[in-house]
Amino acid sequence: MSEAKFVPEIAPNPPQRALALHRQLDRVWANGPGLWGQITAVNHTTLGLRFMGTALIFFAIGGILAMLIRAQLATPQGAFLDTDLYNQFFTMHGSIMMFLFAIPMLEGLAIYMLPKILGTRDMAFPRLTALGYWCYLFGGLILLIALFAGVAPRDGWFMYTPLSSATYSPGINADVWLLGITFVEISAICAAVEITVTILRQRAPGMKLTQMPLLAWYMLGTSAMMLVGFPPLILGSILLEVERAFDWPFFDVARGGDPLLWQHLFWLFGHPEVYIIFLPAAGVLSTIIPVLCRTTIVGYGAIVAAIVALVFLSFGLWVHHMFTVGIPHMALAFFSAASVLVAVPTAVQVFAWIGTMWKGQPQLRLPMLHVLGFFLTFVMGGLTGVMLAIVPFNWQAHDTAFVTAHLHYVLIGGFVFPMMAAATYWMPQITGRAPIKGLGAAAFWVILIGFHGTFFIMHLTGLMGMPRRIDVYPANPEWTWLNLTSSIFGFVMTIGFALFALDLILQALMGRRTARNPWRAPTLEWAMLLPTPSYTFASLPLPQQQDAQARLTLARGEGALPGAARGVRELLVTDAGTARPDHVAVLPGNSALPLGLAAAIGLFVLMMLAGLYWLTLPALALVAALVWRWGRGMAFTRDHAPVTVAPGLDLPVQCHTPMTLSHTGAVCLLVANGTLFASLLFGVGFLSVVAPGWPAPPPGHGGVAEAWMIGATLVALVFGAFAVRLADRARRSGAGMLAGAGAGAGFVSNLVALALIAWLAGTALDDPTGHARDALRGVLAGYVGLHAFIVTGFAAFAFDQARRGEIAPSRPGSLPGWRLWQDYTAATALIAAAIVLWQGGAA
Amino acid sequence: MKLLAWTLAGPTIWAIVFSLVYALHGAGCALGWQDVEAPLGSAHRLALTLAWSAGLVACGMLLAVRPAGEGREAYLPRAGAWIGLGATLFTLFPVVFASTC
Repeated sequence: MSEAKFVPEIAPNPPQRALALHRQLDRVWANGPGLWGQITAVNHTTLGLRFMGTALIFFAIGGILAMLIRAQLATPQGAFLDTDLYNQFFTMHGSIMMFLFAIPMLEGLAIYMLPKILGTRDMAFPRLTALGYWCYLFGGLILLIALFAGVAPRDGWFMYTPLSSATYSPGINADVWLLGITFVEISAICAAVEITVTILRQRAPGMKLTQMPLLAWYMLGTSAMMLVGFPPLILGSILLEVERAFDWPFFDVARGGDPLLWQHLFWLFGHPEVYIIFLPAAGVLSTIIPVLCRTTIVGYGAIVAAIVALVFLSFGLWVHHMFTVGIPHMALAFFSAASVLVAVPTAVQVFAWIGTMWKGQPQLRLPMLHVLGFFLTFVMGGLTGVMLAIVPFNWQAHDTAFVTAHLHYVLIGGFVFPMMAAATYWMPQITGRAPIKGLGAAAFWVILIGFHGTFFIMHLTGLMGMPRRIDVYPANPEWTWLNLTSSIFGFVMTIGFALFALDLILQALMGRRTARNPWRAPTLEWAMLLPTPSYTFASLPLPQQQDAQARLTLARGEGALPGAARGVRELLVTDAGTARPDHVAVLPGNSALPLGLAAAIGLFVLMMLAGLYWLTLPALALVAALVWRWGRGMAFTRDHAPVTVAPGLDLPVQCHTPMTLSHTGAVCLLVANGTLFASLLFGVGFLSVVAPGWPAPPPGHGGVAEAWMIGATLVALVFGAFAVRLADRARRSGAGMLAGAGAGAGFVSNLVALALIAWLAGTALDDPTGHARDALRGVLAGYVGLHAFIVTGFAAFAFDQARRGEIAPSRPGSLPGWRLWQDYTAATALIAAAIVLWQGGAA
Repeated sequence: MKLLAWTLAGPTIWAIVFSLVYALHGAGCALGWQDVEAPLGSAHRLALTLAWSAGLVACGMLLAVRPAGEGREAYLPRAGAWIGLGATLFTLFPVVFASTC
């Protein structure tokens, strides 16, 4: 198991003049000048801060909506808002806080912090970071514009069907949510892929997994959960939008659908989402607490084990949101037990933090106040969570204000307080300025008092039977004073948040210059200039240089890969397990392409929203063209000499190795894609087995012709898998022409598969609006068709590369990526074909 | 990566067994397995108990064959195996007593 022995001793580079290195690196890594420079920025420091800043703005908007809700509920029969507006506000409050504040905030934190604590210069895919940001911004703006236009979603942040179906929610309100949130989720998937790849492949040389900062473990767990947690919701949103737009009945009971399928898909995402939000916050706590207690963390191994347990167990709880829908006792017991069990790894962490404080000498500085606020609030939220995991109590409290109180204790306790601790802890690192004395502490106390005054009371309101999500309530004396109290303290809490924001702004603008490492923290983010330079490290930390003490050594270029003598953005890629230096990656520079691609995707979303479905095709063509251009930007046209990383250590550039960052990223993306496909299979199984209205009526089409077409499609896709192997073998043996021929053959066979799928969908499948079975078959055909289109594109790209001479014996080009996607497409097509044929046969 | 693979093996077994038991539960209820007599009461309970037992055995075997070592490299695979075993035992024990459908 000991993998460190495989990491060779690396000698440090000779020292250089730090200022010269700084100037050389900054010329290469800095953003361009002016507004265009900001638009084309791909730097992780810029984008991390931009994510967090934008998330804070959305937090403020969500907070204002909360105040409007509390104003309405302050008195019985409130006339401040009408029902429709109230429904829009509480839906948007939840959606904004979840999708436009919490997730982007954690993404921003990860993007800003990971390269700095892992000892690298940027995230793995800088343009993807920028694409994620623009998708987030545009998706959020769509939701916001809908809010101001009075057509915001109004069916709750969970969008339950049939309430959100076209029948009961006409207009575009629900579409705004389904399309806008899915647009934003592109950002989450982008972030998850690059966080995973950055942690696995870009750790400083010799930094084993068991030695990396706990925050990186937490982020790794979070990104893995995002890769697996978001696809069910993306699938659900696609299915519901297709039902609303084209009347395919996935959730319509009368035609073989089932609204419970939506609930399953939503909560398959929705419950892990709580832990997706909590884990980074816990990572912040595991970083801050030991530093402010002048000690080391207690139970590093136990905490990592707890993270692993949380990552897995959180996917086994989703049904506890559905305890009242009518589920057999045994299934209730499974999910109740899992819901109780998940408290154990959470408690392990809480006790580890308490143990750390007990062992050390806690200093009651501003971040520590927020840590204590976390303890008080989150532990209470966790305990009410255990109460809600118990089925009989859940049945009583379901859909009451008690649940509202619980979820706010968990989310504000488990995310907002730790994020405020993070902000006050890292602001000196971000701005290079010290805080204004006193204002932060005042903000903390006002927030703490306001929060508990609002939500502790709300437990009682719920226990006295007041339902959630109602805009008016009768003048029941038991509810009246509780609601008024919650509303008053809600405004107190808002004043506290305003003070907190003011404190941050004043610190950024007027704070005096901070000490280089004001908390005397050991982690690498303090081993650099303050505020952070564009390149983070002038040289990358070697095994003996991986703490804050190495600041001067690294600035003088004594680490690995010093400077930017070749005038390109370079970083070191290491082996995922051993952190042994593997190769040098050259990253793309500033680019407007991410903005263009996000705008093209936005155009597609807007055409869907407007109901101009035919115009989505040009938008998709634009997306495909920009993706092609994106790929062209990564192509290497010639061989590159190895790069001297340190004395005696020369490493190849990425074009000469198959295990690139892009390859690892493609694997991560396929994990997410596979989860979406598995969710679709779950939908097929769920509707086939559980939904009323099954078995479906016999299909009108199909039979032998359908089987032949499906068989021919599979043959074409499998032939594509052979073609890519043939091309790769020819490439290795130096037969460039043959490699091009292999790519060409793959292109033709994939094109044939695509045509066959289109023909199958057009002629051999039944009308998908008739029954959920036929709608599911249509979706399966569409899924395989989309992938056939993607691998056709891959083959065309490889053919073009071969033609340009970019594929050579030492340069595999796009062949490894094509092979991954081709194999995946063939495998999923096989499964989809089996289902379609089985459904036809069964009928 | 070996470290990660060994650490994740136990929880992965739990995830597979949990999914399998939940799927068997739904399928069995839909197909009327609870009305088919078998050891342990019904074919449904028998199938669920067998799946659960297989998960417990797999986790037990994982504990037995996990690699030896020292420090965190040894601790994490051991902890992962125990997480798998504990989670399988605790979350699925209702198969032996709760009414099935």
